[in-house]
This record gives sequence, structure tokens and C-alpha cells, in this order.
Amino acid sequence: MVVENLKMAIAALVANKMRSFLTMLGIIIGIGSVIAIVAIGDTVRRIVSSIYENFGATQSIIYPNFQDDSGYRLSDDFTKDDIETLKKVFGNQLAYIDTNGSASGDVKTRMGINKVTLTGADYNFIDFQSFKITSGRFFSQSDIKQQRYVAVIEDTAALKMFGTENATGRTFRQKLNGALREFLVIGIYHLDISPVQKLFMGNNQSVSAYIPSSFFYGNDESTAFSLRIFADKSFKGEKLARFNNDFIEYLAKMKNRKKEDYYIVDVGAQMSQVDQFLGGVSVAMGGIAAISLLVGGIGIMNIMLVSVTERTREIGTRKALGATTGDILTQFLIESAVISAIGGTIGIIIASAGMSIVGALLKQSVVIKPVAVLLAVGFSAVVGIFFGIYPAQKAAKRDPIECLRYE
Amino acid sequence: MINNAKKGREKESDAVDFTSQYNTGGADISLTDKKSYNKSAGKFEHKLITARNIYKEFTLGEVKVKALNDVSFDVYEGELIVILGPSGSGKSTLLNILGGIETVSSGYITYMDIDISSMNEKELTDFRRSNIGFIFQFYNLMPNLTALENVELAAEMSPDPLDPDELLKQVDLWERREHYPGKMSGGQQQRVAIARAICKNPDLLLCDEPTGALDIATGVQILKLLVDFNKKYNKTIMIITHNENVAKIADRVFYIKDGMIRKIVENENPADPDEVVW
Repeated sequence: MVVENLKMAIAALVANKMRSFLTMLGIIIGIGSVIAIVAIGDTVRRIVSSIYENFGATQSIIYPNFQDDSGYRLSDDFTKDDIETLKKVFGNQLAYIDTNGSASGDVKTRMGINKVTLTGADYNFIDFQSFKITSGRFFSQSDIKQQRYVAVIEDTAALKMFGTENATGRTFRQKLNGALREFLVIGIYHLDISPVQKLFMGNNQSVSAYIPSSFFYGNDESTAFSLRIFADKSFKGEKLARFNNDFIEYLAKMKNRKKEDYYIVDVGAQMSQVDQFLGGVSVAMGGIAAISLLVGGIGIMNIMLVSVTERTREIGTRKALGATTGDILTQFLIESAVISAIGGTIGIIIASAGMSIVGALLKQSVVIKPVAVLLAVGFSAVVGIFFGIYPAQKAAKRDPIECLRYE
Repeated sequence: MINNAKKGREKESDAVDFTSQYNTGGADISLTDKKSYNKSAGKFEHKLITARNIYKEFTLGEVKVKALNDVSFDVYEGELIVILGPSGSGKSTLLNILGGIETVSSGYITYMDIDISSMNEKELTDFRRSNIGFIFQFYNLMPNLTALENVELAAEMSPDPLDPDELLKQVDLWERREHYPGKMSGGQQQRVAIARAICKNPDLLLCDEPTGALDIATGVQILKLLVDFNKKYNKTIMIITHNENVAKIADRVFYIKDGMIRKIVENENPADPDEVVW
């Protein structure tokens, strides 16, 4: 009987092609917009988290809390000994630590004047970053220890400063700690970011270069105002938060200060906050899009009511032949479910194809989660059945005699 | 419904000896001589339907209309009965009640000794499904299904169906099995409808003006199919018509007017459909 019902449902849809299509359109738009919006949300989340991951997701920045009344003292800054102690105490959990120094200034080359941001980095800094060395090398341990005047610059910086990406062996001069120094370019790196990611990161006029972190121990070259640390790469969520908390507690005790006297900027925590926020926005947008699905569902109900009236004699005949109330009910339910399922499938195809095309144009891979697709299909079937129930019941409950008399 | 059946039974006890006389509600009618009927009815010895004191009232707004007014009769297995009467005489109502798509106001009907007048909707559906074949004046085929699919739809419902392919061949429409009703003539559609009704393998075939919308030649064709089915499978057929000529093919004719059976006439020698002209 189910096969016959399916046959009749499809036959009825084929018989009224235009009407069936227009009814489906509501569902197509509904499902399509839900999928598109959820995909946009998920893609934005991935872009944002990938930006954070470029910085290193387990990264934290620590500095004395000078905004408080606690009164910032010079001794609150960090010494080389502090860093060594922290390394010893936290061992492998503390994967990386440096002085988090940076300096920016104008650099004059034959290509003109560029604003260059010098960032301090230890030899293993590269292990926590997503950039790749395209030529030359990153710092060695001795580069750091002996404070060699070497730099690893971004390929875009090389292009601006030297007119070529192949700039290893070239030199540039920049002021550092009050004196003009000449840096030898020993490596070029490339950070792979899509145009959309760039949009999210904002427009930065300066070009980037790394120099050994050992340069950034303040004016007296012995203390640093700030620390950059990376926890073990495997740390996430609560484990990361606990590590950061332990770290700052120990640090404060070591410096004879309270925990509140130090500030920690935790990339992981920030990332999960932003991610949560974006997730919420994405769900809310999906919900708004789902309203159009509701409208589509009402469209189905409307057309099914028309269909039931149109086929009054058919219903009467089937009942006279011996069709049960359940048979008639399933016939119309299958019909509305089929409209909705086909509409949902087309919606998914259009949304996925559309998103992929837009993604390809923006050179940004798009996230379409199978879960979202499955949910959408399930939801469209539920919509079809839910909005089909009333017309189907109306049909099923009709008196065969009334139906057969109907003109 | 159960109450109605009870009421019917009470009436039965009031009624004058049923076995010797048809109770026709006291109307002035000439009854067929029971003896002579039995003589010719040797082939019709098993009673299929017993209807006693059937009343059916409709309420149209304020007015009560008596569609059937104390109707009683018997139908035997294998009979071909024509119910003849003008429009509005209650013949369709009678047929619908026998087919289980309408209920009685009072009185009772048994079908193979089962009381169908006290059945609920679900039981009636089951009853229709396994016992009754309907043929309508305007064919009532499913417009979105092909000829074959229409027949198969009915076959699906029956517990003991005949082969739909075979039946379409019998009504000479095998070549057009993939055609939709809209692309067929009235006669062809009615033949599909007959195949559909017969395919359920019903014991009782109820036909509401089956030739009403057809020309003579086509009508005769349809009647032939019905008579064939009646003879070949020994199935009971009841045909409603207002056309007296059609009545010639019947074993018995029920004359019905104003909701009452006025007379029941037996045809000793039912005519061949080919002899029927109108």
C-alpha cells in the first residue's frame, strides 16, 4: 500500500508541475537559507579560529598590572633569571617563553621608506606558528644567545623593501634600543592567509620581521616588561585555563606579588569566547532563516488543502473501494512529505553549490557540516509531515457519500 | 447503529410472516408469486442479503426527507438484479447502504448472515474491502494513475484479488494499459472501472447507472461485460438504472419509487444484452 501511495503522491505532483514547483520553492528557499547561513557562520568561525591559530592557540601574554592601585614597581619586570626559573618549574608544560618584545620604525632602502615592525622571537618560535620558511632559515640557538643582528622577514616585506622575495643575504638598517643597527636577512617566511582572513585581521600598514628575542630586555638589557608563553600544544579549554592560572599564581608568588598584580592575555580563552559568541550568532541567524522554512511549510499546507478539495471524488472512490482512513491519511502525508523532501534536497544542493562557488571566488574554503545538512533534511521532512497532517486528516475523515456526491 | 439494528429486529417480530411474503411496507404492489420464483430460482438457493424494514432519513435543513421508507427484500447469490426507478426514488441510497458506504436509520441488513447494519465505520471499511465492487456512472477513475495502475490500486486492497493484467485483457484494454483516464473514451473508462471493481474479486457488484453516460452501443458492451462476469464467476450483481430496457437482462427487477419497493418482477428468461435497445 505504501508503494501505491507513493506512486499516487508522485503522480499527483507530476500532474501539477508548476504548482508543485512553486510549493517546493518555499522549502527550497527555507532550507537553502538555513544551510547557507549556518555555513557562513561556521566558515567565519573557522576563519577567526585560524587567525588565532596563526598566533598560536596556547599563547598567552603576561605583564604587570599597572592600571591597578597596587603601584607598579620596576622589580615587577621580568629578568633572565625569572625566565630560567619558570622554564625549570614548568618543564615540558611550558613549551615556549620569551620576552614578547617588539619595536617598529621606518626603514629606508632603495625601494623607499617602509614602516617595519620588529618582533622578538626565540629559535623555537617557529614551531608554534603557521608560517613557513620559503628561503634561508629561522634563528639558531646561537643567534639568540650571541644577540646576532639577523632578521627573518615576511615575503611581502621583502618585496616592499628589496623589490624581490629572494632577499636572503640583503641587509637593512633600523633603530633598536636607541641605536641604528644593521640587520642581515637570513630567511624569508610566508604566511598563507586568504583575502577574507586579511579582511578580518584589519589593514596593517607596516611590514613584519622577526629578530632574536634576546634584544628585548629593556634599556638596561636585563629586564623585560612582558612575557610571551606557549603552553604545551595539546592543551585546550579547561586544561589550558588551569595551566595559565597555575602559571600566573606561581609567577606572582615568585615576584612577591598577588595574583591580581599580573595581567594575562590568554589567546585560547579569547578564542573560545569569540568562537562561542560567533556560534551563538550563527544559531540565531539560522533560527531567523528557519522562519522562511515555516512560511514554506504553510505554503505546503495551503496547497494540500486545495489538493484535498480538488480530489474529493477521488477520496470518495478510494473509500468506496475499501481504503481505510489510514490509507487516505498516508496518501496525503506522503504527498506533502515528498514535496518537502524534494524541496529540501534541491535547497541543499543549491545552497552547497552556491556557497562553494562564492568560496572559490573568495579563495576561502567553505565549511558545510554534514550534521547541518542532515538536520536540514530531517527538518524539512518534519515540516512536510507537520503541515501535511491537518489537510491529510481532513481528507481521511471525509464521508465517502459526501465525497461521491461532490461535483 | 446497534440500536438501529435492535429496532429493526423488534419490527421484524411485528411483521407479518416473512417467509411467505415480502413485506413491502403495505404498499399496493403485485408481488411475484413466491412459488414460481423458487421454481426458477433453483440456481439461486443461497441467500446473500436479507434486508428488513429499512428506513433512511436525511435532514436537509429543517426538512426531514425519507429516502427509504420500510424496504425489505432478499437477494440470492448469483442473481443479477436491476433496481429501476426515477431519480430521487432512493435507489442510490439503497445501493450505498448495501455497499456499506451509507448507514440505515432503522431496520437491518444481513450479508451472508452478518449484520452489516450495526457495523461501525472500521468494520464497514473492511466489509467493503473484501466483499463489494462499486461501479459508478461517471467511472471515478484516479486521473493521475494509468489504466493498469487504477486496477492495481483496487487489487492492493483486496485480500483475494484477481490478476489485474488478465482483467484488462478481458475488458479488451490491454493495449491501453499505460494510458491515463483523461485520454480514454467514456466506454473505455467504464471498462477500466469494471476491471477495477471485478479485480477485487467481490461477491457483490454494485453498479450505479453504469451505462447512464454512454451511448447505446457502448452501453450494451458494458452490460455484456457485467452479464459475463455474473455468469462466469456466479457473482451477484445489482444494477441501478432509470432505463427500463436495461431491466430486461435482469433475473429480477425491483421497481422503486418514493423510497419504497413497489413491486419485484422476475424475468423467467432474462434478455441477452445484445437484444437491448434504447
